[in-house]
Formats: sequence, structure tokens, C-alpha cells
Amino acid sequence: MSEKEKKTNEGERKEGFGHISRREFLRDAGLVIGGSTMGSIAFASETEAQQQVKESDVAKDPCSEESADITTIELTVNGGKYGFRVEPHWSLRQLLRDEIGLTSPKDWCGGHGACGSCTVIMNGRPVLSCLTLACECDGAIIETAEGIAKAKHPIIQSYIKWNAFQCGYCTPGFVTTAKALLDRNPDPTEADVRDALAGNLCRCGTYQQHPPAVLEAAEALKRK
Amino acid sequence: MKTWKKFAHVNAGTVDEAASILKAGKAAIIAGGTDILGTMRFEILPDYPEILVNIKTISDLDYIKEESGMLRIGALTRLEDIAKSDVVSAKYTALAEAAHRTASPHIREMGTIGGNICQLTRCWYFRNPDNRFNCLRKGGRTCYAMAGDNRYHSIFGAVKKCLAVNPSDTAPALVALNARIKTNKRLINAEQFWDVAVPGSTILDMDEIVTEIQVPTPTKGMKSSFIKFAIRKSIDFPIVNCAAMVGKKDARICLNAVHNKPYRALKSEELIKGKSINEKNADAAGAAAVEKARALPGDRNKWKIQIARTMVKRAILACA
Ligand code: FES
Ligand code: FES
Repeated sequence: MSEKEKKTNEGERKEGFGHISRREFLRDAGLVIGGSTMGSIAFASETEAQQQVKESDVAKDPCSEESADITTIELTVNGGKYGFRVEPHWSLRQLLRDEIGLTSPKDWCGGHGACGSCTVIMNGRPVLSCLTLACECDGAIIETAEGIAKAKHPIIQSYIKWNAFQCGYCTPGFVTTAKALLDRNPDPTEADVRDALAGNLCRCGTYQQHPPAVLEAAEALKRK
Repeated sequence: MKTWKKFAHVNAGTVDEAASILKAGKAAIIAGGTDILGTMRFEILPDYPEILVNIKTISDLDYIKEESGMLRIGALTRLEDIAKSDVVSAKYTALAEAAHRTASPHIREMGTIGGNICQLTRCWYFRNPDNRFNCLRKGGRTCYAMAGDNRYHSIFGAVKKCLAVNPSDTAPALVALNARIKTNKRLINAEQFWDVAVPGSTILDMDEIVTEIQVPTPTKGMKSSFIKFAIRKSIDFPIVNCAAMVGKKDARICLNAVHNKPYRALKSEELIKGKSINEKNADAAGAAAVEKARALPGDRNKWKIQIARTMVKRAILACA
């Protein structure tokens, strides 16, 4: 995409969708806004990027007014601090996607906890964001595939090299799960990798590509 | 993705606080959440909880320690932590292996041992979305598996007319290891812990909460094992699983997913006790385990009998 095309594209998106412009912003800035009554919520630090957020970039507070049971949570996502007002019945996946605009946690099995495509790393554990209540994530440290890519973790290059995906829908779930494994076990065997990835489904059948990709990322990490 | 209907949410600070909310009714406990949140999202039960009581906020319920001849595991301990624990793997092998074979890695990272033993049945009539089959376990009058597709159902008959099976992997391991389950009210022998309730699968009162699992350290010479037959190696619930603890003087063998409660294979225990563990003896014990097994009319679940027999045999052989 040329620079100009890119601009127009973004311009259109900005006009069309408040959420998307916010998402683009977040992706580029690497942080940091939450539900809309942001003013009332404490943030870790006011950065230049934050000051650039326009009123219009912020979605309407999705907590319905009447709901008595709104809690405020603070969490760290991909290194950025966020504050949110959440209702009890929100999933973490919903919060990450709809409020922060991180689209890597997918929904494949419809929230049965059966596919692993919605995996994020929470406090070091690979967990299913579809079966996690947002209101229980106060204080959590969360990493999504976006954060892993942004940090230039070797797993990304190694997945590309090994063609560990076809359509890519399952990939963020695999990447987060594999990263969580490598964080805990820098020197995994092939059996360890297979074991750790056993809960991730891939409709395209890329299974064979994952163990070598993860093992190679482990090697790359050791050289670092 | 289906979103949840609304509910209130309370972070409990103590077990007593959680119990008092439960006592008031219309409330349910959430620990790992992997079972309760599924039942709620798909509205499989006629009643939707008004309040979810989060017990993860209670401190001191997440531990694995071995002291004075006993392994003690806090109810909130994640299955993955049990599977990875060196002390559990070394001396309580059946439990470590059962935890390791439960569900998928992600669910083991979230799911707790307390939740695993309290989970509801996976009977596909029971689990059908929107309470499509208001079966016996939901206060209805019919067990739909009786006349319906019962290929995964009980081979040891019904309990209170329900043919569903208990799907827990850790349950048979706890029975084989002669564990006890501590709640805020009492100490229960693992064998007596499960029951056919509406809609639960345990004998627990409405305001009773599992707080600890206690497993006596197996005496010298005893070895334990767990094996599982499932359609896929990961993620799936068991078609049949089996845990065994066998040594010179004693033997305890327990099947699960074959009956409404974990099924102790007493006859097999008698046969293998004191005998050498070999192909022939293990096979005889396997055959004895299914002596009382009967396929349901139509023979749809007959295949499970052969599998149960083989699971018992292999679990015994693994204790050699
Ligand atoms: S969407 Fe399938 S496990 Fe979460
Ligand atoms: S790459 Fe298509 S689902 Fe895995």
C-alpha cells in the first residue's frame, strides 16, 4: 500500500468508525485508553499520545446506566495501563476486542473453551479469554499476540519462516500459548511443545509446523 | 459469541462470606469458571444464578504441601500446578497424571481441583443449550438418554433413574488414592463425595464449599497410575478412565465415566491384591471389573464395556 493510499484508508476508517480509529491509534501508540468515562478513571501516566485522543475517538460508555453492578478495574495490557468500568457479564475477550480494539483474541468455538483461539497470557498463564470474566481481571497483567509482535519476540519470525499458518485465524492463539511456554520453559523438548499446544485447534491443519517453529524460537531466544 | 445474561458478581473475602451468600439462594460459586460460565452462557439449566460468588479472591486456598504423612491441596489449586508438581508426580502419580490428562492445557491453567470434582455431568441431553431437554437432573421427569442416543452413557445402570456419567478425571484418582475432601462443614471420604443431585454431582449442601483435598501418602511399595480413553488425546472428556493404586498388600481401582459416580472395581481389587502384576492377572482383574456391566437396550454403549475392561488392565499394569 502506498503512503497516500494508506492515509486515505485511515481517513475513511476514522470517519466511519469511532472504534476503529481508536484501535488504529492504540496500535500505533502502543497504549492506553479505556471505557469512555476516562476522565474519572485513574491512568498510570498521561503521555503525549494520550493527550492527542479526541473526544470523538472515544466510544460511548458501554456500561448501561442502570446497571448497579459496575466495577472499576485496572489492568496492564501489552505493557500499557488501562482503567475500565465493566459489568459482571463481560468476558475478557469482549473487553480486549471491543474496548481496546485488540482483535487477536478470536472466537472460533463460540465460547465453549474448546478451541484455544481466544488465548491470551494472563499473569504468565495461557488462558481462554472467552471464559474469563473481565471484572475478575483487576490488577492482571495481560499479553496478546499484538504485544508479542510489537516486542519483536522471535516466535513471530519463526512462525513466518515455518509457515505455521494458512488462513491465520488460529495463529494468535498458538502464538500466545507458545510464548507462555517459552517464558516458563526456555528449553522445551518437542514433546513439551506438543503438550503445551494440545488445546489449540487449527482448521487448516498446520499442526506439524508448530513444534519446529517454537523450538527454533527457543533457540533464537537463547542466542539473544 | 453468545454473551451472558446479566448477573451480579461478588468477590468473596472468606469462605464463610461465600457460604452465607450461597445460603441466601440463587447464587453460584465461580472458581476457575470453565464449567459454570459454559453452563450459563448456553443457559443449560432452568435457573440462571442471580449472583456469582468469586472465591478466587479468598486467600490461602491455593497450595500443595506434604506434611505428616499427607498431601494437602488447596481447593483453588490449578490443575496444571498439580500436574507439574514434583511431589505429586513422584508419590501420587495417579493424581498428577489425571490432572495432566484433564481437558486442554488452557483449561488446566484456569480450572481448579475443587471445580474439577464438583463439575456437572457432560450428558449431551443435560448440556443441550437453552435447557432444551429439561431432564431429571434439572427437576424434569425424564432421562432422555434412556430412549435416546446413549452411546456415552452408563454401563452400570442408572442412579435415581439418571444414566449420565461423571466426567471428572481427578475423581477416580482421588478414590484410588483413598483421599478425603474437606469442606467448610466436614471431611468426606472421596468415595462418598459424589451423588446424583439436581443439578449437582456431589453430596454437598447448598452452602457447602470444598476447601481442601487430603491424600494420605501411599505406603511403601504402593504405586499408582491413571489412564484415560478419549476420542482425542487432548481436550476431550473421558469415554472411560481408570485410576489404580496397587502394591503387595493392597489394591484400589476406580473407573470413571462409566456410571453416575466414580465406580470402584472391588472385585478386581480382590483379584490383584497380593498377586504379581502381569499380563494374565491384570487381564483377569479387567474382566472382573466389568462383570456387572450391561449395555443399554440397543447396545449403543456396549463398546464402553470392552474399553473399561482394558483400562483396568492397563492401569494395573502401569503399577508394576
Ligand atoms: S473461543 Fe474457543 S476457546 Fe475461547
Ligand atoms: S491456519 Fe487456518 S485455522 Fe489454523
